[in-house]
Amino acid sequence: MTTKRRRRVRHPRSYGDADLEGDVTRTDAVLDALARREPVGGTDAAVRLLGALIADVDSQRLSSVSITPST
Amino acid sequence: MRNVTEGCVADAATGVRLATRSDESDLRELTSLAVQGDRTAIESLLGHLRPMVVRYCRARLGRVSGQYHIADDVAQEVCIAVLSALPRYRDMGRPFASFVFGIASHKVADALRSSVRSAVPTQDLPDGPDEGPGPEETVVRYIEAQHARDLLARLPDTQRELLILRVVSGLSAEETGNVLGMSPGAVRVAQHRALARLRQLAELESIA
Repeated sequence: MTTKRRRRVRHPRSYGDADLEGDVTRTDAVLDALARREPVGGTDAAVRLLGALIADVDSQRLSSVSITPST
Repeated sequence: MRNVTEGCVADAATGVRLATRSDESDLRELTSLAVQGDRTAIESLLGHLRPMVVRYCRARLGRVSGQYHIADDVAQEVCIAVLSALPRYRDMGRPFASFVFGIASHKVADALRSSVRSAVPTQDLPDGPDEGPGPEETVVRYIEAQHARDLLARLPDTQRELLILRVVSGLSAEETGNVLGMSPGAVRVAQHRALARLRQLAELESIA
Protein backbone atom coordinates (compact mmCIF):
# COMPACT_ATOMS: atom_id res chain seq x y z
CA MET A 1 0.00 0.00 0.00
CA THR A 2 1.37 3.33 -0.86
CA THR A 3 0.60 6.47 0.98
CA LYS A 4 0.45 9.75 -0.73
CA ARG A 5 2.17 12.53 1.04
CA ARG A 6 1.00 15.96 0.33
CA ARG A 7 4.00 18.11 -0.19
CA ARG A 8 3.68 21.52 1.30
CA VAL A 9 4.69 24.12 -1.18
CA ARG A 10 5.92 27.26 0.43
CA HIS A 11 6.13 30.43 -1.53
CA PRO A 12 9.74 31.59 -1.43
CA ARG A 13 8.75 34.99 -0.07
CA SER A 14 6.00 33.87 2.30
CA TYR A 15 6.19 34.47 6.05
CA GLY A 16 7.92 31.45 7.55
CA ASP A 17 9.30 30.09 10.82
CA ALA A 18 12.55 32.00 10.42
CA ASP A 19 10.65 35.27 9.99
CA LEU A 20 8.56 34.58 13.08
CA GLU A 21 11.68 33.73 15.07
CA GLY A 22 13.30 36.96 13.93
CA ASP A 23 10.22 38.99 14.88
CA VAL A 24 10.00 37.29 18.29
CA THR A 25 13.68 38.07 18.94
CA ARG A 26 13.23 41.68 17.89
CA THR A 27 10.18 42.08 20.13
CA ASP A 28 12.13 40.57 23.03
CA ALA A 29 14.95 43.07 22.49
CA VAL A 30 12.51 46.00 22.40
CA LEU A 31 10.74 44.84 25.57
CA ASP A 32 14.10 44.31 27.29
CA ALA A 33 15.06 47.88 26.40
CA LEU A 34 11.74 49.21 27.74
CA ALA A 35 12.17 47.16 30.93
CA ARG A 36 15.63 48.69 31.41
CA ARG A 37 14.18 52.15 30.78
CA GLU A 38 16.36 52.64 27.73
CA PRO A 39 15.08 54.91 24.95
CA VAL A 40 13.31 52.99 22.21
CA GLY A 41 12.88 54.79 18.91
CA GLY A 42 10.48 54.05 16.08
CA THR A 43 6.85 54.70 15.41
CA ASP A 44 5.30 51.56 16.88
CA ALA A 45 2.05 52.64 18.59
CA ALA A 46 2.15 49.74 21.09
CA VAL A 47 5.73 50.52 22.15
CA ARG A 48 4.88 54.21 22.49
CA LEU A 49 1.92 53.37 24.76
CA LEU A 50 4.00 51.06 26.94
CA GLY A 51 6.66 53.77 27.14
CA ALA A 52 4.04 56.27 28.31
CA LEU A 53 2.78 53.85 30.95
CA ILE A 54 6.32 53.25 32.23
CA ALA A 55 7.03 57.00 32.37
CA ASP A 56 3.83 57.55 34.33
CA VAL A 57 4.45 54.68 36.76
CA ASP A 58 8.04 55.83 37.38
CA SER A 59 7.12 59.51 37.68
CA GLN A 60 6.37 59.36 41.41
CA ARG A 61 8.92 58.23 43.93
CA LEU A 62 8.82 54.48 44.44
CA SER A 63 10.33 54.79 47.89
CA SER A 64 7.14 56.30 49.26
CA VAL A 65 5.95 52.80 50.15
CA SER A 66 6.97 51.70 53.61
CA ILE A 67 7.18 48.05 54.60
CA THR A 68 6.76 48.82 58.28
CA PRO A 69 3.27 47.74 59.27
CA SER A 70 1.30 50.57 60.81
CA THR A 71 -0.37 49.99 64.15
CA MET B 1 23.64 54.85 32.76
CA ARG B 2 23.61 51.09 32.91
CA ASN B 3 25.69 49.25 35.48
CA VAL B 4 26.63 45.61 35.30
CA THR B 5 27.70 44.30 38.66
CA GLU B 6 27.91 40.75 39.91
CA GLY B 7 25.65 39.33 37.27
CA CYS B 8 22.97 41.94 37.73
CA VAL B 9 22.00 44.51 35.14
CA ALA B 10 20.77 47.67 36.77
CA ASP B 11 19.96 51.20 35.77
CA ALA B 12 21.49 53.76 38.09
CA ALA B 13 18.68 56.29 37.63
CA THR B 14 15.60 54.12 38.01
CA GLY B 15 16.88 51.05 39.80
CA VAL B 16 15.18 48.88 37.19
CA ARG B 17 16.97 45.62 36.84
CA LEU B 18 16.76 42.41 34.92
CA ALA B 19 17.90 39.37 36.80
CA THR B 20 20.62 37.19 35.38
CA ARG B 21 21.33 33.56 36.24
CA SER B 22 23.81 34.27 39.07
CA ASP B 23 21.52 36.99 40.38
CA GLU B 24 18.75 34.39 40.56
CA SER B 25 20.89 32.03 42.68
CA ASP B 26 21.82 34.95 44.98
CA LEU B 27 18.12 35.65 45.40
CA ARG B 28 17.44 32.01 46.19
CA GLU B 29 20.08 32.11 48.92
CA LEU B 30 18.71 35.40 50.23
CA THR B 31 15.21 33.91 50.30
CA SER B 32 16.43 30.87 52.20
CA LEU B 33 18.04 33.11 54.85
CA ALA B 34 14.93 35.30 55.01
CA VAL B 35 12.68 32.27 55.58
CA GLN B 36 14.91 31.33 58.50
CA GLY B 37 14.23 34.75 60.00
CA ASP B 38 17.47 36.58 59.14
CA ARG B 39 16.42 40.23 59.45
CA THR B 40 19.12 41.58 57.13
CA ALA B 41 18.13 39.04 54.48
CA ILE B 42 14.44 39.96 54.88
CA GLU B 43 15.23 43.64 54.39
CA SER B 44 17.44 42.95 51.36
CA LEU B 45 14.84 40.66 49.83
CA LEU B 46 11.99 43.13 50.22
CA GLY B 47 14.25 45.97 49.10
CA HIS B 48 14.86 44.03 45.92
CA LEU B 49 11.23 43.07 45.27
CA ARG B 50 9.37 46.15 46.48
CA PRO B 51 10.08 48.49 43.52
CA MET B 52 8.86 45.80 41.12
CA VAL B 53 5.69 45.28 43.18
CA VAL B 54 5.03 49.04 43.33
CA ARG B 55 5.39 49.35 39.56
CA TYR B 56 3.12 46.36 39.01
CA CYS B 57 0.40 47.78 41.28
CA ARG B 58 0.68 51.25 39.73
CA ALA B 59 0.43 49.84 36.21
CA ARG B 60 -2.62 47.73 37.10
CA LEU B 61 -4.51 50.19 39.31
CA GLY B 62 -3.54 53.55 37.86
CA ARG B 63 -3.95 56.92 39.56
CA VAL B 64 -6.85 58.12 41.64
CA SER B 65 -7.23 61.91 41.76
CA GLY B 66 -3.87 62.18 40.03
CA GLN B 67 -2.04 60.20 42.71
CA TYR B 68 -0.85 56.65 43.18
CA HIS B 69 -1.99 56.40 46.82
CA ILE B 70 -4.29 53.42 46.28
CA ALA B 71 -1.76 51.51 44.18
CA ASP B 72 1.02 52.25 46.67
CA ASP B 73 -1.19 51.16 49.57
CA VAL B 74 -1.89 47.88 47.78
CA ALA B 75 1.85 47.45 47.16
CA GLN B 76 2.41 47.95 50.87
CA GLU B 77 -0.26 45.35 51.65
CA VAL B 78 1.53 42.94 49.32
CA CYS B 79 4.84 43.52 51.12
CA ILE B 80 3.19 42.97 54.50
CA ALA B 81 1.45 39.81 53.24
CA VAL B 82 4.78 38.52 51.92
CA LEU B 83 6.41 39.32 55.24
CA SER B 84 3.66 37.46 57.13
CA ALA B 85 3.78 34.44 54.84
CA LEU B 86 7.57 34.23 54.82
CA PRO B 87 7.91 31.73 57.73
CA ARG B 88 5.50 29.35 55.96
CA TYR B 89 7.18 29.71 52.55
CA ARG B 90 8.66 26.48 51.14
CA ASP B 91 11.02 26.56 48.18
CA MET B 92 9.41 24.35 45.54
CA GLY B 93 11.99 25.18 42.89
CA ARG B 94 10.28 28.30 41.62
CA PRO B 95 11.76 31.75 42.21
CA PHE B 96 10.49 33.75 45.16
CA ALA B 97 9.28 36.43 42.73
CA SER B 98 6.57 34.09 41.47
CA PHE B 99 5.27 33.73 45.04
CA VAL B 100 5.34 37.52 45.51
CA PHE B 101 3.58 38.32 42.24
CA GLY B 102 0.99 35.64 42.95
CA ILE B 103 0.10 37.58 46.11
CA ALA B 104 0.30 40.90 44.23
CA SER B 105 -2.07 39.66 41.54
CA HIS B 106 -4.69 38.67 44.16
CA LYS B 107 -4.34 41.92 46.08
CA VAL B 108 -4.78 43.95 42.88
CA ALA B 109 -7.85 41.90 41.95
CA ASP B 110 -9.30 42.58 45.44
CA ALA B 111 -8.60 46.30 45.04
CA LEU B 112 -10.22 46.38 41.62
CA ARG B 113 -13.32 44.69 43.03
CA SER B 114 -13.51 47.17 45.83
CA SER B 115 -15.20 50.39 44.81
CA VAL B 116 -14.20 52.27 47.93
CA ARG B 117 -12.00 54.86 46.39
CA SER B 118 -13.40 58.01 47.89
CA ALA B 119 -11.04 58.94 50.70
CA VAL B 120 -7.86 60.03 49.03
CA PRO B 121 -5.20 61.51 51.31
CA THR B 122 -3.31 64.46 49.88
CA GLN B 123 0.38 65.01 50.10
CA ASP B 124 1.87 67.92 52.02
CA LEU B 125 2.45 70.92 49.80
CA PRO B 126 6.07 70.99 48.64
CA ASP B 127 8.01 73.99 49.92
CA GLY B 128 10.63 73.90 47.17
CA PRO B 129 10.58 74.31 43.39
CA ASP B 130 8.96 71.47 41.47
CA GLU B 131 11.64 69.99 39.22
CA GLY B 132 9.23 67.57 37.52
CA PRO B 133 7.70 68.03 34.09
CA GLY B 134 5.35 70.97 33.50
CA PRO B 135 1.55 70.72 33.68
CA GLU B 136 1.10 70.26 29.92
CA GLU B 137 3.62 67.42 29.74
CA THR B 138 2.14 65.86 32.87
CA VAL B 139 -1.37 65.88 31.38
CA VAL B 140 -0.21 64.43 28.05
CA ARG B 141 1.71 61.68 29.85
CA TYR B 142 -1.26 60.95 32.11
CA ILE B 143 -3.65 60.67 29.15
CA GLU B 144 -1.30 58.39 27.20
CA ALA B 145 -0.69 56.19 30.24
CA GLN B 146 -4.42 55.90 30.86
CA HIS B 147 -4.94 55.03 27.20
CA ALA B 148 -2.30 52.30 27.58
CA ARG B 149 -4.11 50.93 30.66
CA ASP B 150 -7.46 50.96 28.84
CA LEU B 151 -6.05 49.00 25.90
CA LEU B 152 -4.14 46.60 28.17
CA ALA B 153 -7.41 45.92 30.00
CA ARG B 154 -8.85 44.69 26.71
CA LEU B 155 -6.13 42.07 26.26
CA PRO B 156 -6.62 38.52 27.56
CA ASP B 157 -5.53 38.28 31.23
CA THR B 158 -2.32 36.37 30.55
CA GLN B 159 -1.19 38.76 27.81
CA ARG B 160 -1.87 41.78 30.03
CA GLU B 161 -0.05 40.25 33.03
CA LEU B 162 2.82 39.26 30.81
CA LEU B 163 3.39 42.75 29.38
CA ILE B 164 3.07 44.45 32.77
CA LEU B 165 5.43 42.05 34.55
CA ARG B 166 7.92 42.03 31.71
CA VAL B 167 7.99 45.73 30.85
CA VAL B 168 6.68 47.75 33.79
CA SER B 169 7.93 45.59 36.68
CA GLY B 170 11.09 44.84 34.70
CA LEU B 171 11.18 41.06 35.12
CA SER B 172 13.24 38.98 32.72
CA ALA B 173 11.55 36.49 30.37
CA GLU B 174 12.68 33.70 32.73
CA GLU B 175 11.21 35.39 35.83
CA THR B 176 7.99 36.28 34.02
CA GLY B 177 7.69 32.66 32.91
CA ASN B 178 8.12 31.49 36.49
CA VAL B 179 5.36 33.80 37.68
CA LEU B 180 2.95 32.76 34.94
CA GLY B 181 3.94 29.10 34.73
CA MET B 182 5.42 29.34 31.24
CA SER B 183 8.78 28.50 29.74
CA PRO B 184 11.00 31.48 28.74
CA GLY B 185 10.50 30.50 25.09
CA ALA B 186 6.72 30.52 25.51
CA VAL B 187 6.96 33.94 27.20
CA ARG B 188 8.88 35.34 24.23
CA VAL B 189 6.32 34.08 21.72
CA ALA B 190 3.38 35.16 23.88
CA GLN B 191 4.78 38.65 24.47
CA HIS B 192 5.27 39.04 20.72
CA ARG B 193 1.60 38.15 20.20
CA ALA B 194 0.52 40.42 23.04
CA LEU B 195 2.42 43.38 21.60
CA ALA B 196 0.93 42.69 18.16
CA ARG B 197 -2.57 42.62 19.69
CA LEU B 198 -1.92 45.87 21.57
CA ARG B 199 -0.68 47.47 18.35
CA GLN B 200 -3.79 46.28 16.54
CA LEU B 201 -6.06 47.73 19.24
CA ALA B 202 -4.19 51.05 19.15
CA GLU B 203 -4.47 51.22 15.38
CA LEU B 204 -8.19 50.38 15.44
CA GLU B 205 -8.75 53.16 17.97
CA SER B 206 -6.85 55.67 15.89
CA ILE B 207 -9.03 54.85 12.85
CA ALA B 208 -12.32 55.02 14.78
